[in-house]
Amino acid sequence: MVSRPWQRLSPAGRVLLPLGVVAGGLGVVFLGGVSSGILPNLWSWVYEALSDNLPLLRFVVAATAVLLFTVPTAFVIIYLEMKVIALQNLRLGPNRQGPWGVLASTLHGFKVLAKEDFTPTGADVPVFTLAPVVVYLASVMSFLVIPFAPGLFAQDMNLALLYFFAVGGLGVVGLMMAGWSSFNKYSLLGALRAAAQIISYEIPLTLSVVGVVMLAGTLSLNTIVHQQSGSFLDWYVFRQPLAAVIFFIAATAEGNRTPFDLTEADSEIVAGFATEYSGMRFGFFFFAEYVNVFILSALTVTLFLGGWNAPLDLTPVWQALGAHPGAIDLGGLGVGLLIALLVVPPILTVLLALPFWMLFTRLRFWQALGIGFLCFNALVGAAVLIWAAFSFDAVMGLLWFLGKTYVFVVIFVWMRATLPRVRIDQLMGFAWKWLLPASLANLFVTALAILVIAQVRG
Amino acid sequence: MTAPETKVRSLDDPTMFVDTPATIYDAIPPYPPRTEREAEFYTLRDGEMLINIGPQHPSTHGVLRVVLKIDGERIVDLDPVLGYLHRGVEKICENSDWHMVISHCDPLEYIASMFSEYVPVLAAEKLLDVTVPRRADYIRVLACELNRISSHALFMGWLALDLGGITPILYGFLERDEIVEMLAALTGQRLLFNYMRIGGVNGDLNHEFMSRLGDWMSHALRRIEDSMTLINSNEIFVGRTRGLGRIDRQTALRMCLTGPPLRATGIPYDVRRAHPYSVYPELEFEIPTREEGDSYARYLLHLDEIKQSVHIIDQVLHRIPDGPIMAKLPRLLRPRPGRAWAAIESPRGQYGVYAMSDGTDQPFRLRIHDPSFFNLQSVGLLSPGHLIADIMAIMASLDPIMGGVDK
Amino acid sequence: MSFVPGLGILKGMALTFRNMLRLKPTVQYPEEVYPVAPRHRGRLLLLYDEAGALKCETCFQCAQACPIECIDMGGVDTRDRYHIHWGPAEQYGERREESALRRSGRPVPDATATPFEPIDTAALDVILADEAYDPRHMLAILGRTQEAYGYLPVAALKHISHATGAWYAEVYGTATFYDQLRMAPAGAHVLAICLCPSCTFRGAGRVLAAAEAAASTALGGSSPEGAVRLEATACHGASPAAVFVTLDGAVQAEPTAKGITDLVTRLRAGHAPVGRA
Repeated sequence: MVSRPWQRLSPAGRVLLPLGVVAGGLGVVFLGGVSSGILPNLWSWVYEALSDNLPLLRFVVAATAVLLFTVPTAFVIIYLEMKVIALQNLRLGPNRQGPWGVLASTLHGFKVLAKEDFTPTGADVPVFTLAPVVVYLASVMSFLVIPFAPGLFAQDMNLALLYFFAVGGLGVVGLMMAGWSSFNKYSLLGALRAAAQIISYEIPLTLSVVGVVMLAGTLSLNTIVHQQSGSFLDWYVFRQPLAAVIFFIAATAEGNRTPFDLTEADSEIVAGFATEYSGMRFGFFFFAEYVNVFILSALTVTLFLGGWNAPLDLTPVWQALGAHPGAIDLGGLGVGLLIALLVVPPILTVLLALPFWMLFTRLRFWQALGIGFLCFNALVGAAVLIWAAFSFDAVMGLLWFLGKTYVFVVIFVWMRATLPRVRIDQLMGFAWKWLLPASLANLFVTALAILVIAQVRG
Repeated sequence: MTAPETKVRSLDDPTMFVDTPATIYDAIPPYPPRTEREAEFYTLRDGEMLINIGPQHPSTHGVLRVVLKIDGERIVDLDPVLGYLHRGVEKICENSDWHMVISHCDPLEYIASMFSEYVPVLAAEKLLDVTVPRRADYIRVLACELNRISSHALFMGWLALDLGGITPILYGFLERDEIVEMLAALTGQRLLFNYMRIGGVNGDLNHEFMSRLGDWMSHALRRIEDSMTLINSNEIFVGRTRGLGRIDRQTALRMCLTGPPLRATGIPYDVRRAHPYSVYPELEFEIPTREEGDSYARYLLHLDEIKQSVHIIDQVLHRIPDGPIMAKLPRLLRPRPGRAWAAIESPRGQYGVYAMSDGTDQPFRLRIHDPSFFNLQSVGLLSPGHLIADIMAIMASLDPIMGGVDK
Repeated sequence: MSFVPGLGILKGMALTFRNMLRLKPTVQYPEEVYPVAPRHRGRLLLLYDEAGALKCETCFQCAQACPIECIDMGGVDTRDRYHIHWGPAEQYGERREESALRRSGRPVPDATATPFEPIDTAALDVILADEAYDPRHMLAILGRTQEAYGYLPVAALKHISHATGAWYAEVYGTATFYDQLRMAPAGAHVLAICLCPSCTFRGAGRVLAAAEAAASTALGGSSPEGAVRLEATACHGASPAAVFVTLDGAVQAEPTAKGITDLVTRLRAGHAPVGRA
């Protein structure tokens, strides 16, 4: 193996050389800045620019955080799927990679990155390349409106629910792009099935939710969750049971999950629209599906099961234990803290990686950076725990929300393990002949009930 | 050396792909149709498409290529292309000893290889006029019935897998694993047993086998039935298979179906009762039949057959006599010149061998009549009018094993 | 279940939930091993018995009976002299000749494979009785047999095997292991050359080459008419001046190539030793 000059440095050299380079660069910048008069005003200039556009900055940070959150979520759900399906199949699933196999999905992610990435002959290359991106974005953009905890959401829009369904429909475009641009009849069939299925099930999905909207009086998800606070009897699932069931079934169909997974039915049309995809492009479809599962479960929980509300009001319990709910509000971040959030992680990663790189000379630099990143994550975890002690409300809300969401994720996975697939005509028949009338009936009954109760109350 | 410029014959929008040679991506062969059937099949009307459910496919039960002519999702015509697993078994058998034929015929019906070994052995015994000792006959029946149960357990799981349920196949395999380990204790191997010998069987029952058999019998039926409640009452499964691939009696007889597809139409034809062999005349069992003739009936019929097989095993264990397990035969077998037909009831239907001997120690010809070959023919008759997703259900319910189809 | 839609689905989901909580039948392979039936024939092994000896007799029956000719047997004699193979001859070129040789009917040069002629076992019985038929005294038995008969006939080895109960393969193994035990009748005279390092420095190799050329044989063999047998001898710590060469035990005074050539030629011509030269 050819060794590069920087790999032949001694440990002292490995510290001094980067420092020297950085110092030299900084020195040049400093001198240039001072000599041209920019540097003394730089900090205040940046600070003012950012604090003038605080909402935009906040949005950028939120969007980035959400994007970064989707990947570990997908990993966790992939692991859950492998493990839960295996346990129900009377086998063990991944149990060798890490304790109980928890690293399995991470390793699958690396594997997917390392696979050969080819484009089939005759495929429409720009469309072929963009299709996974569109599908993934459609799933991820819906993350922006989900309220994870009181105060912990990316964006609180008045039309959050409408935005959600609008963006979710973009996924169809991506699937059609994928199916059409791979020069393959199987993919075409899969894409057509996907389009038909998703479009048919969007109607019962949205109609079943209108009842909830009428009860809550708003399309904003945050407000809907706030209105379900109190005890679990306030949750909308008790007032709209039929809507909950219809929503859940339609959500299963929207997410291309068994029993409605004909688009990727791998015993009929091998992987459907994704037949010609390999490597990370397929990884995008894969991730998008699991992120979709999370989003649909999250939406079920938000709309019908109270979001981040605990089943009973436990604030007296926490106060008796000595925790202070609501002391730190994440929404009111200062700009300085934001800049620190951008700058501190890389610096901390490098700083934590340096001792490992110096001590263990067999480590390559990227391996050391990985270890540094893991240590940084451990530090962040500790910091989050400390934050939790001070802002109990948000953390408890997050935990309840995630717990309830993962219960539904497990139910999705459970259905996948148990149920066979329906046929396309049975699927369409079910949507148009059963779910649509049922959701319309639910809508009318809800409207009638609201009117009647309003009259009765005066 | 470049391929000659062939005119693009595809009806799927040819003008976009003029520079790609049509022979690679087109399912229509470049030569003019040679038979009427080819002409009928490869003439596409407006909106029709030829799609290949190719030899590499997760659920064609082996390597089977099916060329479908579809109109949207609906199948208009179907053309199965066989031969991807052809191993020349019959020709090899012409060059090997009568004993070696056993290990060559083993992998024909590899899921239930006791049956595919049994048949040439039966044919050779007819040509040699050998009386097989009764203990050997009982052991043969025991091994065959155990293999039938394991094959049916796999069938039920496979059918569910083709429909999308990923769990029942693992339950089926759990059942099958126990039986197959039992047979490994008896014969030495789990899948290709090589257990039948001309004149008897290879080894006697041993303690390991009997103890495993006892353990299994104590919970045999209950576990299979428990596992299959997952799909028996499942609305989606029933909705996918009920009314699908319905065969009526005349069609079944005309297409020479045997085995569960035939019995599901209501005709109680079972080779064990129609042309009895071995000790089956002494055993009491019923021939389960169903009336509807659709996939769901075939599936339920397999469950009934498992119950009957357990009943047979029970009787065999009570009645098995002592004695030798192998008839006294010379090592070099030279059957009399002549022909013999031997047929048995395998899990898939009537498995037959037509053996021709010319007096030497190698068979002159061994023609194998595998039930999957005949049962698979009816796919072409049953599928037009159904959707693509249904072909899998139909094919899976006919239970073909491509090893036997292609030989 | 047909009254309530979805009840079948829920029953199925309840079943899988119950199965999720059950003990799994998985066998974690390297830590636990699934018990294999005694009759399992899935592993192709050469088996040893309790005494540690190989059970395979190389009878070739399995190779002959195998329908797909997948068994190829090969063997090599204990002194690395002969390679014997059985298998599909068309696969390997070198084995072709061996198989052809074996099937041709020509004698394969192996002393124990050729039919042996019977001998008078009277002397051998005396020896065996003396050693109390004990196979643990095999070396002594074989040494005395060689003294009595001049060499070890195959018939004698068979008789020893019958009498002592040791396997013929063991007796044969012991007989071929030791250099001083020979399976072929010796020549009239034994010319022994020392090949230790100090003698080699003094030219034992040249002496050996000359002796081999003169006797028309290789080391360990006899000249064609049986007059001289060439052997290697162990180092006796002899005179540092010259190569140590003995003729019938008598040390030769002129151990040069020319001298040995003359000696061997004379021995072959006259079939009589010259005595101390």
